[in-house]
Amino acid sequence: MTGATNVTGLADVTAFANTLRAEWTKFRTVRGWVLATVAGAVLIVVFGLQPGMQGSCGKNGPGSECRPPVGPGGEEVTDSFTFFHQALTGDGSVTARVTGLTGQLSGGGPDRPRQGVVPWAKAGLLVKAGTGQGSTYAAVMLTGGHGARLQYDYTHDLAGAPGAVPRLVPGVVPGGGTRNEPRWLRLSRSGDTVTGAESADGVRWTTIGTARLAGLPATAQVGLFVTSPQYTEEVHDGLASGAMGGPSLATGTFDHLTTGDGWTGTAWQPDVIGVRGDGPATGAESLERTGDVVRLTGSGDIAPEVAGAGGLGVSISQTLVGTFAGLIVAAVVGCVFVTAEYRRGLVRTTFLASPGRARVLAAKAAVVGGTMFVTGLVAAAVVVVLGQRVLRSNGVYVHPAPTSTEIRVIVGTAAVLALGAVLALGLGALLRRGVTAVTAAVVLIVLPYLLAMTVLPADAARWLLRVSPAAAFAVQQAAPEYPQVESLYTPVDGYFPLAPWAGFAVLAGWAAVALTAAAVVLRRRDA
Amino acid sequence: MRTALRAEWTRALRAEWTRALRAEWTRALRAEWTKLRTSPGLPALLAAVVVGTVALSAAVAAASDPSPGTDLPKLSLTGVQLGQAVVAILGVLMMGDEYASGMVAVTLTAVPRRGRVLAAKAAVVAAVVAAAAAVAVAGCVVVGWLLLPADAVAARPAVGSVLYLVLIGLLSLGIATGVRSSAAGVGVLLALLYVLPIIAAAVADPDWQRHLRQIGPASAGLAVQAQANAGDLAIGPWKGLGVLALWAVGALLAGAVLLERRDA
Amino acid sequence: MITVNGLRKRFGPTTALDGMTFTVRPGQVTGFVGPNGAGKSTTMRIVLGLDAADAGEALVDGHPYRALRNPLRHVGALLDASALGPGRSARNHLLWLAHSQGLGTHRVDEVLHEAGLTAVAARRAGGFSLGMRQRLGVAAALLGDPPTLLLDEPFNGMDPEGIIWMRGFTRALAAEGRAVLVSSHLMSQLEDIADRVVVVGRGKVIADASVSELLATVSDGRVTVRSAAADTAAAVLADGGGSVAATGDGALVVAGLSAETVAGLLSRHAVPFSELAAHRATLEDAYLELTQEAVDYRATIPGEAR
Repeated sequence: MTGATNVTGLADVTAFANTLRAEWTKFRTVRGWVLATVAGAVLIVVFGLQPGMQGSCGKNGPGSECRPPVGPGGEEVTDSFTFFHQALTGDGSVTARVTGLTGQLSGGGPDRPRQGVVPWAKAGLLVKAGTGQGSTYAAVMLTGGHGARLQYDYTHDLAGAPGAVPRLVPGVVPGGGTRNEPRWLRLSRSGDTVTGAESADGVRWTTIGTARLAGLPATAQVGLFVTSPQYTEEVHDGLASGAMGGPSLATGTFDHLTTGDGWTGTAWQPDVIGVRGDGPATGAESLERTGDVVRLTGSGDIAPEVAGAGGLGVSISQTLVGTFAGLIVAAVVGCVFVTAEYRRGLVRTTFLASPGRARVLAAKAAVVGGTMFVTGLVAAAVVVVLGQRVLRSNGVYVHPAPTSTEIRVIVGTAAVLALGAVLALGLGALLRRGVTAVTAAVVLIVLPYLLAMTVLPADAARWLLRVSPAAAFAVQQAAPEYPQVESLYTPVDGYFPLAPWAGFAVLAGWAAVALTAAAVVLRRRDA
Repeated sequence: MRTALRAEWTRALRAEWTRALRAEWTRALRAEWTKLRTSPGLPALLAAVVVGTVALSAAVAAASDPSPGTDLPKLSLTGVQLGQAVVAILGVLMMGDEYASGMVAVTLTAVPRRGRVLAAKAAVVAAVVAAAAAVAVAGCVVVGWLLLPADAVAARPAVGSVLYLVLIGLLSLGIATGVRSSAAGVGVLLALLYVLPIIAAAVADPDWQRHLRQIGPASAGLAVQAQANAGDLAIGPWKGLGVLALWAVGALLAGAVLLERRDA
Repeated sequence: MITVNGLRKRFGPTTALDGMTFTVRPGQVTGFVGPNGAGKSTTMRIVLGLDAADAGEALVDGHPYRALRNPLRHVGALLDASALGPGRSARNHLLWLAHSQGLGTHRVDEVLHEAGLTAVAARRAGGFSLGMRQRLGVAAALLGDPPTLLLDEPFNGMDPEGIIWMRGFTRALAAEGRAVLVSSHLMSQLEDIADRVVVVGRGKVIADASVSELLATVSDGRVTVRSAAADTAAAVLADGGGSVAATGDGALVVAGLSAETVAGLLSRHAVPFSELAAHRATLEDAYLELTQEAVDYRATIPGEAR
């Protein structure tokens, strides 16, 4: 009978097509499964469009719209600081010595602010195209907890020699400040190039780095600056995680402020760029001058604008909060699609009709994965497009994402739903009992994520998020994470430890393993 | 004389009636208890409750380096979040398995008062889960005492956690009765217990967050575990447990009504 | 005793019961027959309080089922032999049932013995063959020693020995004075054990009579004749007042004449015949005749003349 078993490729394809059609018919004729699939999509849409979030952008009349300044690279930025500056033309250098950096945090009551310097408080020298927010700049600085650094054009950040200023524990340092070891900083401009350097004694200089600022005009504003970003603290409260935070102030003490190598002038003026509610409002308020010593107080940050707890507004990932609910539904449907066959022995009929068991499994995976993908695509598209509008009309600021990112988010979400269903299908075929399989699928997908969000210490949490199937949520990350901006980059706000497609590959790996194991076991086991 | 006789009669009748009623309750309870204790999967499930809870608590306690001010009793009782999944399975299977095999028809012919069937099942589930939960929580307390610094042992979180698990079991039973399917029941339950808190955390509006945490069965119920920082909680410890109790009672009532009215 | 009066029930657009009325009396076996979809199982479920009727009433010993205090002591029922928790042993399945009625292990052992399952009592019920499950179902029905029994298709899956046992069993139960309702498709079985038969179709009772009355109503049996001179024989018999039909394999089936009449006619006209067989009317014939309009789902057998 070798003739019968020696099928040609075409016959194989036809056989698979028949099995696929059979499985599709099986799926679409069970009203409960179809309804559940639709319900999953509805859940995603409902959670994404719910008007729970409120914001104040645009709510208090014209002018209250949230339109952050835009930096030279096109990204949104925060640009608030205190500037002790003058206009200087051509090439030159400016030097200063930083002798102290202290700070204050809000919270603890308006009358009793807490003492402490946030790790990314900045004090140093700045050369900027103008006083307009978003203009190109380069700055060399001392920070509260990250040593000396050179930053330019908002997204670039270079570290200086570590160790001179002790690296403090990240997070708020109550009552702390830098040790009073003075540090020299120098900024030199030559055409479009700006070099930052630091020194312990003012004699031996170490270059931190060089910045190329295209578009830096001949006359630039140069001087001392101080700023201090929002501080954020994580709060664990039962099954909740949240962030507490608020503005902070920093005061830098400088002396030996001199210009050289072509720059001359002493007409320094204090100004507050990007006035903040909690900081000093005018230049005069922010400055204390005693002879050679200049004390500047500032609040704010010179950095890219981030979404989430520590920053402004949300990214478009916020509209997809319902994905987990949809994923659970997808897992249940995927599981039940196969365990229902074992309940009354339907599996025997199935294997009589299609003896190729792995083929049956593949057809099932294709049907349930395909269905989830299509419904997920529709739901995600609706929610990403409309959800942004709902949020914006509620006054919440939504960081615009490029269309390619939006497409990646939508397609990625649909693919995650599909793979989640396929993973559950594999588990169902392995375990055969609906209840155990559904629980295993849900616990596998949801519990690591939940624990990472609530109870686990940070490294364990991030490891778990890299390894478990929920890593695939990285496809939904729409905003980049900046290490030099202190914020809570939590999954809840749409930040994930892995790159989007890397995270997706993790889930794909899980699904592949489950499906392969199921195929192997299915072949060997009695039906 | 006649009135005295009639009074005597009514008293005897009432006594007879209550005796008969109590006897029926005893029978329903006994039947459900026999059903449960002869289920082949029961020992494994109960063991899983204990092992899962204690193992997770031990892992978390060993891995964490708690800063001062951390809620230590709550940390030692983290395992309850895994144990609740197994308890949910137990509660769902108690009813769902009967529908799967069709045995529900036999049960309802043996005890036609359907509310009584559900009540008997609830009582049996509560007792069994309470026993397993007590062992599990005791294990967590031991873990906390061994692996965490002092003050990891506290009465209210421990007792509250046992009650929490019992209420989860009852909630599962009610939902399974309404849904009539084990797999769907487990899906609904796990979504309620695990996905709702995630959604609550993802909603950035603090008011909505607070509301969702106050009404979600898991987040409200687990408030009973909190010892320190009681002021930061979305809802007070015993109130939270009360919210979960409302969920459980509501599910059981809805299940009872559906069971009573629907064709078997 | 079971009294069913004017039951009506619809499932969506389908009318399952359309005024079902009959009584099951003690001391006899009542057969309950009808085509598929006639409403037999629905009626039994309503009697047992599992489903609710839209109209009408079903009473067990004068009370609705759900008002009974120890229902299994009033009615024992076997509806679906597979309705068991598969992991439980047979004994444990009966044990929880017994406990629900205030009975104990002693009674469980008794019914196990009566059903012939003592040897397999400790085995998983899920591993039982169909016949064994039927016996377990019967054992469960007998737990409360009820005066009324409802058996839905009890012969299904039984081997010949089991069928003989079940037959004798149901007769013995009726002889003890119990009211026994047996629904079955196997007419031959019912013919031997039933005292009365309730024939239902399309949700209504078509006939409710003793077996002998039913057999009397059916038209007389047919006679099969095989003859070398088939055409002559057919003509002679048709003249004699019978209706003749030819079957495909050369025989003639004559209706309306008794076997003696046929033999007489043929010999008087000197028609040779090699075979003359009389078919006694059976319950199956009666049933088919009564229900031919009521059948919803009729399968066709290739080649058969109807």
